[in-house]
Amino acid sequence: MTTNDTRRSFRLRSLAASALVALAMTASAQAQDATTIKVLNWQPGGPEYWTALVKAFETENPNIKVELETVPFDRYPEVQGPYIATRSGPDVMQQNAGLELFDRRVAYQELPAEVLAAGDDLLTRSGGCLNYDLTQACYGLPFGFQGNVMYYNKAVLSEAGLDPANPPSTWQEFGDACEKVKATGKTCLALGMTGVFPAYWVFPEIARNYLTEDDMRAILAGKMPWTDPKMVSILQAMADIPTKGWSNGNAPSISMLPDGADIFASGNAAFAGTIIADAVNWAAFGAALGDENVGAMRWPAVEPDAPLAKSFSGTESAVFGVTTWTDKTEAAQQFVKFVAGVENGNLLTSLGGGIPLNSKVDPALFPKSGALEQIREIIKKPTIHVGVLLSGQETDALGRGWQEVALGRLSVEDWVARMQVALEESPGKN
Amino acid sequence: MHSTAHQATARQKARRGGSGLRPSLFLVGLLVLPALILAVVFKLVPLVRAFWLSLLKTQGFYDPTFAGISNYRSMLRDPMFEDAFRNALMVFLSLPVWVFMPLVIALLLFQRTPGWKFFRAAYFLPYMIAPVVVGIMFRQILSPDGPLNAMLISIGLAPLAIEWLNGPNSALFSLTAVALWSFFGLGVLTYLSGLSTVPQEVVEAARLDGAGFWRLLFNFALPLIRPVVGYWTVLCMSGMLIWMFPLVYALTRGGPGSATMMPEYLVFITTFEFLNRGKGAAIGMALFVFVAFISTFVVRQMYREGRGRQP
Repeated sequence: MTTNDTRRSFRLRSLAASALVALAMTASAQAQDATTIKVLNWQPGGPEYWTALVKAFETENPNIKVELETVPFDRYPEVQGPYIATRSGPDVMQQNAGLELFDRRVAYQELPAEVLAAGDDLLTRSGGCLNYDLTQACYGLPFGFQGNVMYYNKAVLSEAGLDPANPPSTWQEFGDACEKVKATGKTCLALGMTGVFPAYWVFPEIARNYLTEDDMRAILAGKMPWTDPKMVSILQAMADIPTKGWSNGNAPSISMLPDGADIFASGNAAFAGTIIADAVNWAAFGAALGDENVGAMRWPAVEPDAPLAKSFSGTESAVFGVTTWTDKTEAAQQFVKFVAGVENGNLLTSLGGGIPLNSKVDPALFPKSGALEQIREIIKKPTIHVGVLLSGQETDALGRGWQEVALGRLSVEDWVARMQVALEESPGKN
Repeated sequence: MHSTAHQATARQKARRGGSGLRPSLFLVGLLVLPALILAVVFKLVPLVRAFWLSLLKTQGFYDPTFAGISNYRSMLRDPMFEDAFRNALMVFLSLPVWVFMPLVIALLLFQRTPGWKFFRAAYFLPYMIAPVVVGIMFRQILSPDGPLNAMLISIGLAPLAIEWLNGPNSALFSLTAVALWSFFGLGVLTYLSGLSTVPQEVVEAARLDGAGFWRLLFNFALPLIRPVVGYWTVLCMSGMLIWMFPLVYALTRGGPGSATMMPEYLVFITTFEFLNRGKGAAIGMALFVFVAFISTFVVRQMYREGRGRQP
């Protein structure tokens, strides 16, 4: 090798090294430029969907990184409460639409028009706005539809001598079916009364039989006393479920998620009242019991002639909003906009087992499932989801009161009185 | 002349005395100061702030307004408040078990009972498991078709295979038993450290005098480690309520109804689920008074006994 060759080789190596250093510096500068936002959520739709969501968002917004703080749904208020009380923590938070969001609106920025415009393709987004009114301040954008249905196990119904093609549609028929199911040694209605589930998953389904939508708005405003005969009737019908022996005996001491749902998913119950999306939905039960064994129906009508008896208690599943204490507002707003967009809607449909609110979602993406098809029929006639209009106090008193009624330690009259106290103690309703 | 000399001597003495006293007081103050600052900053200030908060009306997370004693009125009207403190008292009734059971075990281990090394580790192991994990574990164990009932049925004790967490009395009993299981290893260790100061020869001598296990326990161990027993008793009394919190959280959420509601858990849900910080603080103050009253009684008893034992 000549001296010139050696020099050339040295120059080339120096050049390559310089290029590498420059590349590393650029990458480092880009990493430094990236904004990391923290998103508090309960991971509706499951981990696979959320991994895809974050990846898609970060691909579309290379300068924003997402850090998820995922909390189980029934523990969410206890984790979120201290964040709000101390005005610190995540940049974006998930919240149930309705009173829960309104009660906590001090933690959320009012979203500007350009962010709300990202929700133009949504079938509804009023649950993110004060008093369900689009003309008032809006604090979050939704992405999926949520609500309650009753799932049934066709194999268990057949075993009990019932027709899986015609599940019970009235309270009377349901009671008769339960007697037949119980005769096989199985639970009729898988139930768990601990936590927020009685308020969110059962109460609305009974309430539809006695209330009008105006009554529901009165509940939101705190103008409907629990001593009203309609409210008393709702509690009485709820009390009938355990006292008539339709549910599992340990219902008062277990939670619907996961314990109650597990009873149904293990094939030991004929019915379970859960939700259309997120966890314990048609997809989860289909995976556990086989799609061919799972059916979905409205909760049986207690008062079949009531105007809302054949409606679906539906709501925006949850909304995402930007916290008031974040110093990364722009990046946080980008995430909220993305969540409401069509790309996320497609992901929710294909991976999350959810029902998207975005009207531009490709219908071909819906998985093939008999129960899902039934759900898509049921949701065509929605009404207000009255469960999300209850305050924290009412939600707690409803669940605890139901437990005690089921155990024979509390009369319905005393339960009514407790609910009234809970209403009077609710900060957001007084 | 004599008088002047006397005065000078007195001044010197005073100076010596003064210069000897001043640094010692200064040193004492300096040594006490960090503890004092910590106590004021982390105990007194939060306590005063909590009391002030209990006098405020808090509308969700909005700025509070002065409300006098209305939170205390609301607290007394709340049936859950009464239930929580009644449950706490019921838990306190199990105090003798919390105090004596670890002592019995500790004495057995101290006597080098066969397998004592294994049991020493085994008894302490539950204390090392996070209480929330213990709660989740026992939710499975105590479920109606769980391993505990399966075992009871398999050994012919089917009538005892009840729904442990379903009944108003059985739920509280189960919760207390789980807490005891989880924490009594700490008691065993505490007693063992007390017993380790006692020479083995003394035990041997007592045995040679014909002392059986129970005589050893009551006439030997108990008098010798009385201060340790007192310490563990106070720790249990104040700790029982605090230790319960993660178990209530993971196991029962205070239910069914309010059967296992504890004051501390009530403070938590009132503050963070009901968003009523003022009332939460009021219940917290009631809890403080409750624990302080009981602990003061026990601590005073300990001091009284300690003074009586001094020569």
